[in-house]
Amino acid sequence: MSNRNLFFAATILLISISLTWWLQARQAQPVGMTPTVTGQVEYCLTCHADLEEISAAHPLQTYGCVICHGGERLALDADLAHSSLRGGNNPSDLSVVEQSCGDGDCHNGAASAERDHIQRVMTSLQATYAGAIANVRYTFSAQPDLTPLFGTVEVSDNSLPSQTGILHLDAFDPSAENNPFLKTFGTNCLTCHLNSQPAEDSQGHRFSGCSACHSPAENNQSGFIHTLTTAIPYSQCSACHNRGNYDLRTMTFVERTDQPVTRLESYYQPIGQFTQCEYTLDCVDCHTRSEAMGDGDIHANQKDFEYVQCQTCHGTPSELPLTKTLTGLDDLAIRLVLLNPVVDLKLGDTILVTEQGEPLWNTRILADGTYEMIGKATRQQFSFKPVMGSACTQSGQDQSSAYCHECHVVER
Amino acid sequence: MRPNFFEHIHPPTIPTAQARWRYTLGAGGTAVFLVLVLVVTGALEMFYYIPTTGEAALSVQTISYLVPFGGLVRNLHFWSAQLLLIVSAVHLVRVVFTGAYIPPRRFNYLLGLGLFVLAILLDFTGYVLRWDTGIQWALVVGTNLVKTIPWIGELLYRTLVGGTTPGSATLVRFYTWHVFGLMLLAAILTTWHVFRVRRDGGIAVPPPGERGDRERISRSGLVRTEILAMLFSGSALLLLSAVSPAPIAPAITEITTLSGQAIAPWFFLWVQQMLKWGDPFTWGILVPLIILVVIALVPYIFPRPAKQDLGSWFPKSNRLAQIVLAGIALAITVLTIMELIPVS
Repeated sequence: MSNRNLFFAATILLISISLTWWLQARQAQPVGMTPTVTGQVEYCLTCHADLEEISAAHPLQTYGCVICHGGERLALDADLAHSSLRGGNNPSDLSVVEQSCGDGDCHNGAASAERDHIQRVMTSLQATYAGAIANVRYTFSAQPDLTPLFGTVEVSDNSLPSQTGILHLDAFDPSAENNPFLKTFGTNCLTCHLNSQPAEDSQGHRFSGCSACHSPAENNQSGFIHTLTTAIPYSQCSACHNRGNYDLRTMTFVERTDQPVTRLESYYQPIGQFTQCEYTLDCVDCHTRSEAMGDGDIHANQKDFEYVQCQTCHGTPSELPLTKTLTGLDDLAIRLVLLNPVVDLKLGDTILVTEQGEPLWNTRILADGTYEMIGKATRQQFSFKPVMGSACTQSGQDQSSAYCHECHVVER
Repeated sequence: MRPNFFEHIHPPTIPTAQARWRYTLGAGGTAVFLVLVLVVTGALEMFYYIPTTGEAALSVQTISYLVPFGGLVRNLHFWSAQLLLIVSAVHLVRVVFTGAYIPPRRFNYLLGLGLFVLAILLDFTGYVLRWDTGIQWALVVGTNLVKTIPWIGELLYRTLVGGTTPGSATLVRFYTWHVFGLMLLAAILTTWHVFRVRRDGGIAVPPPGERGDRERISRSGLVRTEILAMLFSGSALLLLSAVSPAPIAPAITEITTLSGQAIAPWFFLWVQQMLKWGDPFTWGILVPLIILVVIALVPYIFPRPAKQDLGSWFPKSNRLAQIVLAGIALAITVLTIMELIPVS
């Protein structure tokens, strides 16, 4: 045993120690944060320091990341840290939304407190697709009438439903269908509801669950989006609506072939008929929360819960639109305007409300008796007048779009 | 001058032929070194590890990522434990293949085998302490296997698991076994094993009249060899730990489910493969136990190697023992590979 051997071995150990030290020194310095709601330290910011806060309503210091996204809060290895993320990169996917967005009574609270977002979305037509499934199954003789039996997932309504509400839908299973068209329908045509991932060749980009609407993709660009907003531009709605038509003969979806550039061209499909306000405003400026997210009951037909009409804002020749004066800070209108402060609402202001009492919180009655609306997504100001006292010769009874479009239509 | 403590362990001189790497493979000494590393790194981990179902996996993450050099310490602990199994197995194979187990070393052979079993149990309990989804399957399947033992299975299961299903009692029991019960036994047996080597006359060598090579190395020469072995295995450990982190997985949310990867720790893969063949008690417990008993009986039932054959590899006189052990080692290796590379 010579000293040379010992020297050689010692040198190897020294090199190993240096290498280990160097590798240790290269590791990221942990950046911890303890959100006030959870009180538990999390180290997501070590890598995600550049990420913008998702919304003003979800301050990072209050909620942190893990309460919504899940994940291993202490792990600094990306694979492990992300291994238990809820819903992959989208915690609002309806399969996990209860834990992500509902935990702690955030968005699954009482209906009376207007905090039952999840319950309403889960049972909404946007999620169940019940009407389309019933229609197609009836068309191909898989059921004797149009009674809605199936949704994209099994869903029950435990509350007392409205007149048109349904108590229960079973999960639609295309593989159990005998008709090959219905199997194809299951494969090709169930990509539009909130439970589904969008079709790969889809033009418009959207996520599933809440993020389908509340995380709009700017310019329809797919990829990483870390935004939650109630300022939802029409283009996000168009990611599903107005992106094309179903072809029942081939059971495929045919995307729009026109290449719209302007808002006027892209808002509606080329066959669409619409008034000026229907394309200058965004969908969410007129369509209310209960219309878009569901009213808590299971429906199979749009007309059972879509109720906002021209008269909601404009009234009729004999009646002014409904209004409400804001008296309390817990008024829903005040709460909603905080999420998207496009208008400076104050107690004592009078706003328009729908026939069901939902606030049109981005409207206001001005001193001269006219109305103003601020676009929720565009922040554009619109002034408008009631029908009453105008030259409009409508009957006041017929509120169908075709009837109003006879005079008020935009030519493209 | 009175001899100091270390001189009790190290004989004044040993024959050069039997001090060579190619004879000992340095396995026994390296095993002792790895045990020392395990004790030190394990003690450091105990400052941060929290043995409760809610905190265990999180505290392992804390050690791995947040404690300065915690990841390195955990990796060293992990790799020492894995290498200890390999080195111990090599040591066992060396002892049988050189016929070194004959009297008066029969008892120390059994002590060594007991230590090997303890190392496996320590490795498995340590593996379970992670309490993440990576260990879930093996814990549920492994403990359920105990239930299949006739008459005493149910009682043994409850004693081991601390209830009817794995839970917080299981974690505390595994923790106590790992850091106290098994450790205490291992410490006693290791000391006894090392002591018996010296008491049994040091390393197995042929009788004085039968040695061709009469050269001997000194005590300091032996210590130098041991230091060399430590330097090399220390470097290997550091490099392994630096480039290949110990396994870790997301925390367990529901322990009773069989979620996570359906894979046993690598040293039980051969058992996992056999479990596919049928009765879990036969293949999961009886057969491994029979194999252990056969290995334990090697010094007692097989023809004894002749004294003059000691100190060299593959003495003709104990061929049968060599063939049996080689067969067992080959079977375990093949079964492990079969489980690693499933034939579809």
